[in-house]
Amino acid sequence: MTSRSIRRVLSLVPIAAALMASTVQAQTREVKIYAFGAKSGVVRIFGLNSEAAMKAAAEQINKAGGVTLGDGAKGKLVIEYLDDRCNAEEGINALRRIASQTDAFVAVGPTCSNVAEPAFGILQKKVGDASDSGLQFPLYTDVAAKGGLAAMSQWAFRNVPSESAMYKSLFEWIKATHPEVKTIWGGVEKDFAHSNATYNVMKDHASKIGFDVKGQSEWLLADTSFSTQVREMRRAEADLVMISAHPFTTCGVLKEMQRQSVKPKMLVGLTSSSSLETLQGCAAQAEGMVIPTSFAPVTADARKAAQAVAAGGANMDLHNAAAWENIFTLKDLIEKSKIMARPDTTQADRNKMREALANMKETTGLLGKIGRTDDREAIKPFLFVQAQKGEWAVAHKPN
Amino acid sequence: MSWIDLLDLLQSVFDGVMFGTTYALIGIGFTLIFGVMHKINLSYAAASIGAAYLSLLVVQIVPTPLVYLCAALLGGVLGALVYLVCFRFLPLNQPLATLMSTVGMLLLLEEAIVHATAGMPQNYPAVFAGVVFDIGPFMVRGDLLFVFALGCLAMVGLKLMLEKTRLGLATRAVAQQSVAAQLCGMSVSNTNATTFVIAGFLGGTAGAMTGAAIGVLSPLLTLPMTVKGLVVTVIGGLGSIPGAIIAGLVVGGVENLFQFLRGVSERDIYVMLMLFAFLVFRPGGLFAAPGGRD
Repeated sequence: MTSRSIRRVLSLVPIAAALMASTVQAQTREVKIYAFGAKSGVVRIFGLNSEAAMKAAAEQINKAGGVTLGDGAKGKLVIEYLDDRCNAEEGINALRRIASQTDAFVAVGPTCSNVAEPAFGILQKKVGDASDSGLQFPLYTDVAAKGGLAAMSQWAFRNVPSESAMYKSLFEWIKATHPEVKTIWGGVEKDFAHSNATYNVMKDHASKIGFDVKGQSEWLLADTSFSTQVREMRRAEADLVMISAHPFTTCGVLKEMQRQSVKPKMLVGLTSSSSLETLQGCAAQAEGMVIPTSFAPVTADARKAAQAVAAGGANMDLHNAAAWENIFTLKDLIEKSKIMARPDTTQADRNKMREALANMKETTGLLGKIGRTDDREAIKPFLFVQAQKGEWAVAHKPN
Repeated sequence: MSWIDLLDLLQSVFDGVMFGTTYALIGIGFTLIFGVMHKINLSYAAASIGAAYLSLLVVQIVPTPLVYLCAALLGGVLGALVYLVCFRFLPLNQPLATLMSTVGMLLLLEEAIVHATAGMPQNYPAVFAGVVFDIGPFMVRGDLLFVFALGCLAMVGLKLMLEKTRLGLATRAVAQQSVAAQLCGMSVSNTNATTFVIAGFLGGTAGAMTGAAIGVLSPLLTLPMTVKGLVVTVIGGLGSIPGAIIAGLVVGGVENLFQFLRGVSERDIYVMLMLFAFLVFRPGGLFAAPGGRD
């Protein structure tokens, strides 16, 4: 080969490289997964943790080759997380904004039950009902914990553990293993939807299982003084105190209990309190508290996920573990239902995704298989954790 | 009502009165600024809680009393900052301008705390936390007694400062007649700025004491403390420092009284009814400050 022809071949190299790059680009489309939740306001940690978990999951999927789309092209998952401040109005706005995007075919969120309820309310209730002008957009909730919300719309799906099943199992376990516990006193944060709803669930199960629920003390989310409520607790002298409140007031109450020397034989807390927040606020006072949760790093997958999320600067708990699981579930469903992720197939992709979510009978979660109920709720494996020396340790794994 | 119910009721009211000292400290700051500038600084409680949060930076390296001192000093710095941003360059003859700027500052400070801590509650150290005095059937918390003593000390200190120092003289002169004070060679803006620093110093102390009394700091505290501070200021009498102290204790006591009698869902209704009653029947509050010559 002459030097002239070598130069000619070399001059073609950049052109060929550019062509190859554009082909690869065309083949790896961006597949947007929209999400929304509280990234500001006092429950900002929920949104931050969820976003971090989703991004970590997406990164792992992308590293493993991404997602295969309906036309055979490879897709790269991109998470777009919107802030709703845990405010119903802003949550509805976020969902409407997402639904107006031509690259949106599913969304994950929200983080707060008081947002989930109205957000599910703007979705079309029954698929194919021409008289219902509600949004036809699949929503797959990760955090908002209030039970039974998915029944509101056939476009709503949840990967949230059943608190009813968790507390039923917890009180059965307490009954079997702690026969000395006979009476219960409750504590509830009255003005927070999740705390209030879960307290009723706790109370119902405890009573049905045979505990004597002697009464309850009530406070508000932003209360600063708990002396009256804890004096009620002191007078009741119950064997077990169950607190359905978020970490700030849980810690306030636990500290007041310490001051007033209220020492029940057992403490039970709200699912959301099985997080780092409680330990950061009052590890010493929460010592011994038992909480049911759908996440603890007890399996290889769970440990790996927790490490990946920690690398992104967040902590994995029962809430964002669901966010992580949702992204892997969506990846599978995108492939199975042959989602195209193109602007011209948006509504078809939404319909396919809804169908896929509706037909899903079982998924794989971090703690094992996750079943699905007919009204689109999850049946998640769970365990009981206990605060021990500033950490959440596994107390019991129900079958 | 049984004997034990009565004891519990009295204990609840007493606990509320003691906790009311934290409201009183916030109320003093509100009233001090109002007394001098005739303006409401709605960001005051948020800045106070913000100062307590900032003091957590040194919690690992200094003893607890120094954490409180640090909160007080940082409160003074935040007070100066609030004055510069929300008052110094705004038209003071437009009441809405400073009101809105301080509302903005309140939200900004709250969100800054949320962003810095992701909204997570933070453990806050307390002195005498484990000290409880049993007086007959009653229990008195050592930490709240400390806050109460500090509140009284703040009131006496402020009173002395206002009456015995040149700064106090300037403050009173500016409060009564700012133009005349200026003609006498006093700098109105310097006096106002100093008042904000002093109020901020008190605010930082109040934030630290609130954190210590609850044992936890949370951004959730900013709004209720703002509301309580305003209620205390109105009931105590705008501009009256002893009034703020007494009203703080009264509001704390009434809050717990109705918590005990009517429960949490009705408690705040009665506190607000008390506020309305004062506004209608005694608009000057418990200790209305005497009006200026003009």
